[in-house]
Amino acid sequence: MRSNPELDGILTEVRRDHRANDAPASLEPVLRAAAEGRKAVPAGGRPGFKWSWAAVTALLLAFGIAGGVWQLRTRHQSTDQQVQSAPVPQVRVEVVVPSESATEKRSVTASSKREAGAVRSRAPELAASPAQQRWNALDEFVPLPVSEGLVPASDLSVVRIKVRGSDLQQYGLDAPGDAATQMMLAEFVVGEDGLPRAIRIVR
Amino acid sequence: MFERLRRTRRDGELSDGELHRAALKGSGEAMAAIYRRHGGLIYRFTLQMSRNETVAEEITQEVFLALLTQMDRFDATRGALSTWLCGIARRQLWKYLERGGNANHGDFEDESAEEPICPSDGPAQLLLRREAVDAVRAGLEQLPLVLREALVLCALEEMSYEDAAQVLAVPVGTVRSRLHRAKAQLAGLLRAEMGNTARRRA
Repeated sequence: MRSNPELDGILTEVRRDHRANDAPASLEPVLRAAAEGRKAVPAGGRPGFKWSWAAVTALLLAFGIAGGVWQLRTRHQSTDQQVQSAPVPQVRVEVVVPSESATEKRSVTASSKREAGAVRSRAPELAASPAQQRWNALDEFVPLPVSEGLVPASDLSVVRIKVRGSDLQQYGLDAPGDAATQMMLAEFVVGEDGLPRAIRIVR
Repeated sequence: MFERLRRTRRDGELSDGELHRAALKGSGEAMAAIYRRHGGLIYRFTLQMSRNETVAEEITQEVFLALLTQMDRFDATRGALSTWLCGIARRQLWKYLERGGNANHGDFEDESAEEPICPSDGPAQLLLRREAVDAVRAGLEQLPLVLREALVLCALEEMSYEDAAQVLAVPVGTVRSRLHRAKAQLAGLLRAEMGNTARRRA
């Protein structure tokens, strides 16, 4: 590199000014304190220290998972008992069938009277089947078979919708005979997770 | 290598590695000693690059705290502590500069710098000299950052090309070429400034 004496001389002066800048003394106590704050940490055993933390974390996780599973199973058992014994108390109606619901509701009600007679007339021949017995019991809320194993809901709502009888199969219910093809009004008890817990047919 | 050993063990002082280990064990005095030894370099480098005292102070603090928090990354056998610290400072600086932090060039006023008066110089020579020094200072600020950092490390901090190459993470040849280009630009600015002064006087 070709030397430029004049520039080098000037750079020497700039360097002298540059070197006059010392590191701020205010940082020294900060750094001193930061280093002294490490006294509690054993310096030699950093890797072991990390591994021990990892082991403790893993142990806590294992305990947490085991506890969670145990709690879940306990809750399921108690839920089954609660749902089977309690007829869904203290629920509020949140959704009522909108717009066309009024007409549909009326027609359903009108036809349900006719069907009620038909169902009653066939009652003796169907009374024996378990499906019919379950169907007849749907006048009141009964727990849905598909809700078994769900976490118990703390906030329950009743949702009223029109369904075809055959649609109830997905909930584990068999609509007997003509009811499978008919539209009917059903009330579902729904938990805060959006999953149905119990059903009642509005006859 | 021998230079490095000589530098870190002069006058029976503890080496950087020993001080670092002591600081990691909680010795505030060791940490303060490291700071007194290398703080000036880091602060001056960041100040010269950022032209902002607050930023330079913040980055200097972060760099030395990194010595405690990123202890695994420093290996005393692979390089000098000053180089390692300077490399961290440079990375922090570039982050700051890439965020547009170099827009504020007005924060830095070096008012303490008084030109030494040489008794043999007449007033005219002194004035010329002062103008030349000011021109070079101004030119330093106008240099592209990659050239400026090479000039600051090699010309102002008198760092070896090898150490500068480690800090800048480039080959030694690149450091040489950047330094050459930086000096060439400064020389051009100086010539222009001198020409202007001569014309004014004429």
